[in-house]
Amino acid sequence: MNKTVIAGLMTTASLMATPVLAEKSVVTALPEQVTVWVENYNPFNQTTVLPTVEHFMYEPLIIFNRMDGGNPVFRLASAFKYADDLKSIDVTLRDGVEWSDGEAFDADDILATFAMVMKNPAIDNQGMAKMLASVEKIDAQNVRFHLNTASNQAMFQIVRVPIVAEHIWSGVDDPVTFTNPNPVGTGALTTMERFTPQEYVQCRNDNYWDAASLKVDCMRMPQIANNDQALAAAANGELDWMGSFLPDIENTYVAKDPENHKYWLPGGSLVAFYLNLDSQDAGNKEAFNNVDFRRAVSMAFDREAMVEIAGYGYPTINQYPSGLGASFHAWNDEATEEKFGGYTQYNMDAAKAQLADAGFKDTDGDGFIETPDGQAISIDIIVPNGWTDWVNSVQIAVEGMNAAGIKANVATPEAAVWTEKLINADYDVAINAISVGATPYNQFERGFHQRNQGKTRFGAARYYNAALSEKLDAFTQTIDAEKQQVIMGEVQQILGEDMPILPVFNNPIWYQYSTKRFTGFFNADNPVANPGVHKTNPARVLHLLALRPVE
Amino acid sequence: MQFLLKRLAFYLVAFLVAATFNFAIPRMLPGNPADIMLANANAAMGPGAREALMATFGFIDAPLHEQYFSYLKSIFTWDFGVSVKFFPVPVIDMLMQALPWTLLLTGAALLVSFSIGTLLGILAAWRRGTLIDVIASPTALALQSIPSVVVALCGLYFLGVSNKIFPTSYAYNPRLDPAWSVEFISSVAYHGFLPVFTLSIVLVGGYLVTMRNNMIGQLGEDYISMGEAKGLSDARVRYTYAARNALLPSVTALALSFGALFGGSLVTEVVFNYPGVGNLLYLGIVGRDFPLIQGQLLIMTLAMLIANFAVDLAYVFLDPRLKRA
Repeated sequence: MNKTVIAGLMTTASLMATPVLAEKSVVTALPEQVTVWVENYNPFNQTTVLPTVEHFMYEPLIIFNRMDGGNPVFRLASAFKYADDLKSIDVTLRDGVEWSDGEAFDADDILATFAMVMKNPAIDNQGMAKMLASVEKIDAQNVRFHLNTASNQAMFQIVRVPIVAEHIWSGVDDPVTFTNPNPVGTGALTTMERFTPQEYVQCRNDNYWDAASLKVDCMRMPQIANNDQALAAAANGELDWMGSFLPDIENTYVAKDPENHKYWLPGGSLVAFYLNLDSQDAGNKEAFNNVDFRRAVSMAFDREAMVEIAGYGYPTINQYPSGLGASFHAWNDEATEEKFGGYTQYNMDAAKAQLADAGFKDTDGDGFIETPDGQAISIDIIVPNGWTDWVNSVQIAVEGMNAAGIKANVATPEAAVWTEKLINADYDVAINAISVGATPYNQFERGFHQRNQGKTRFGAARYYNAALSEKLDAFTQTIDAEKQQVIMGEVQQILGEDMPILPVFNNPIWYQYSTKRFTGFFNADNPVANPGVHKTNPARVLHLLALRPVE
Repeated sequence: MQFLLKRLAFYLVAFLVAATFNFAIPRMLPGNPADIMLANANAAMGPGAREALMATFGFIDAPLHEQYFSYLKSIFTWDFGVSVKFFPVPVIDMLMQALPWTLLLTGAALLVSFSIGTLLGILAAWRRGTLIDVIASPTALALQSIPSVVVALCGLYFLGVSNKIFPTSYAYNPRLDPAWSVEFISSVAYHGFLPVFTLSIVLVGGYLVTMRNNMIGQLGEDYISMGEAKGLSDARVRYTYAARNALLPSVTALALSFGALFGGSLVTEVVFNYPGVGNLLYLGIVGRDFPLIQGQLLIMTLAMLIANFAVDLAYVFLDPRLKRA
């Protein structure tokens, strides 16, 4: 191909890039990295559903804002109240909300949605069938959720169920495979302006109840397959709102347009090293079940290096002995920190001393310690292949452990294998993440409640502690804030003393934005809510409503 | 005729063997699709949800031989089931959406590399020892030994990322709708240039060397001297006499490289975010999407066999002796 042809092609290409929607204000966003968009608007689907269907097409009832102490922001609901015995919840729906096709939104939609979800386990993503006894209609604007067991956590789960239109979904034969080709929603953006496997554009709902707050006309979602392509598009200034891992962000992204390219990486899910208390290797199992060993390993971790070197400084260090995390500092139990805080500080001498005092020494002269019973310790730490920041963190952990005399290696199976090994407890040590909720309860319940041990990736430590599980259950039985604080303190004491997992940092919530075309982005100076555009974050609705086109 | 029938029988057996491998290999991978999906879904799904999902995807806990027979049935009815990763889209739809792009890439790359390589091979043999031979042959060989992933990444970096001459992803500008317009077709050509270029560059060497060696063999034959003695033009002797006879082994190489190209296009498609079947296969493997992996491998097997069959047909045309056999 000669130069003139190339030049000719380039001219055509640049002509073609002229925005089709020039007169509208369009936010270009990257909520998810995929190889191909599939036209699926079923909000209950967990695989191919377009990432802007939940929340943007189907408005949540309530958004619980973790960055505001978990306080509710009312959307389709205008109030909710737990009964005194925490066995039921009354929810009042907002007046005058309409579906995008003009039909009124009311209690019948709620009833039909929950009836459908509870009948079909494959779309019961929040476990409603287990949690709810029934949903009762009081009048057109009021419903009552009856719970199987009293719990103050139920509302957090209920609001994660997308509410769909009864008049549409009552005619659907199989809600599991339904692709909802003509979506009718209550959300801000319900009109599909354009759809191709490489790009789709979703525009505003003319019947949106909060239309006055919405200053953006459309969102455009380009198909981008991986971090490299995301970086290329971001550096070119093509993306307004995104969340990807960008290596060396100051140079690769910010420096391309220092005026407009910005980022903010608040702390998200808890990242910790799991020691398999039920390891198949007898020597490792003995070591892992010895709390002194766990404490020594924790002190051999250079957490600052993990954050600064492996993580490019993006994660938030987590040195809470219980793994609480900086964003939940209001719940912190100081007694726990005072008593056990030393075990999460990098201190090689203390780590060695701890091991020696507990009877771990090198008895066979190979340079690595054996257990007090004389069994060999040899640890493979598993981390998903290609998750470079984690792989490097594990490398730092291994260096620390080797320096403390513990034989350890990095193993990098594929992500699928890593997941399976965690669920089946077929591993020695793993780096793992637990997703967080509105209060610290969620991460502790997922990670340590005995009913979750051995069932999920989060409960992979095989840590069975009935007393802790009781405390966690007790937390759900009261809405008295003071009592909750006391119970959460006791939970932290148990976890700090036992250290069943070794917290290292909180993963960042990936979030980058460009102020070239829009303003109003959340950031460290304006930390209104979780700023992520990803489909797991309901608070992104608040963010969309905060955006203003640049004049 | 008998020759072609024999070949057809051979292809049928080859297809069945390959289909069996397609069935067995994905099942040897550790991990399964439902767990991967639930692990990433951040869900508090109830205990029945996993089973319900598995049933929806058509995963039955049947004994292996029953699974195998229902798989064989699915091949011959052309019903590959529903993709897990792209649920609820049928596998066949995903594949048919992607296949044209891969055929475009591999076809164009094959055409480009075969033409350039063969032509250079003819010239290098004709003028062996001269500058064109001394430069072209070793260079082509050196390029051939570079893995296609390296070529693709270099191309992406130098021509796409740092100099921005070519786009780094997509098969065409995503703002356009597919149509038989100059605008759309030039966008396809512009987006396809780098992938085709990186795919062909590693193949040129093979064709060049094969062709050069065959030509040199042919040039020593008596009928060449005869042609020259008759006073035929150089070009006529070179192309119509020597090259036509030297071409047979190159055509075999062409069929074989079709397989290598399909493999190479996997890497190239992933690197350039090109929406072909190679990219799909990669996603299928990562997500343990057994129906998709099986369907894709089957399509690849079929493509390989069809290419080989086409070469058999071409032999009949190129080598008149086979018509009688």
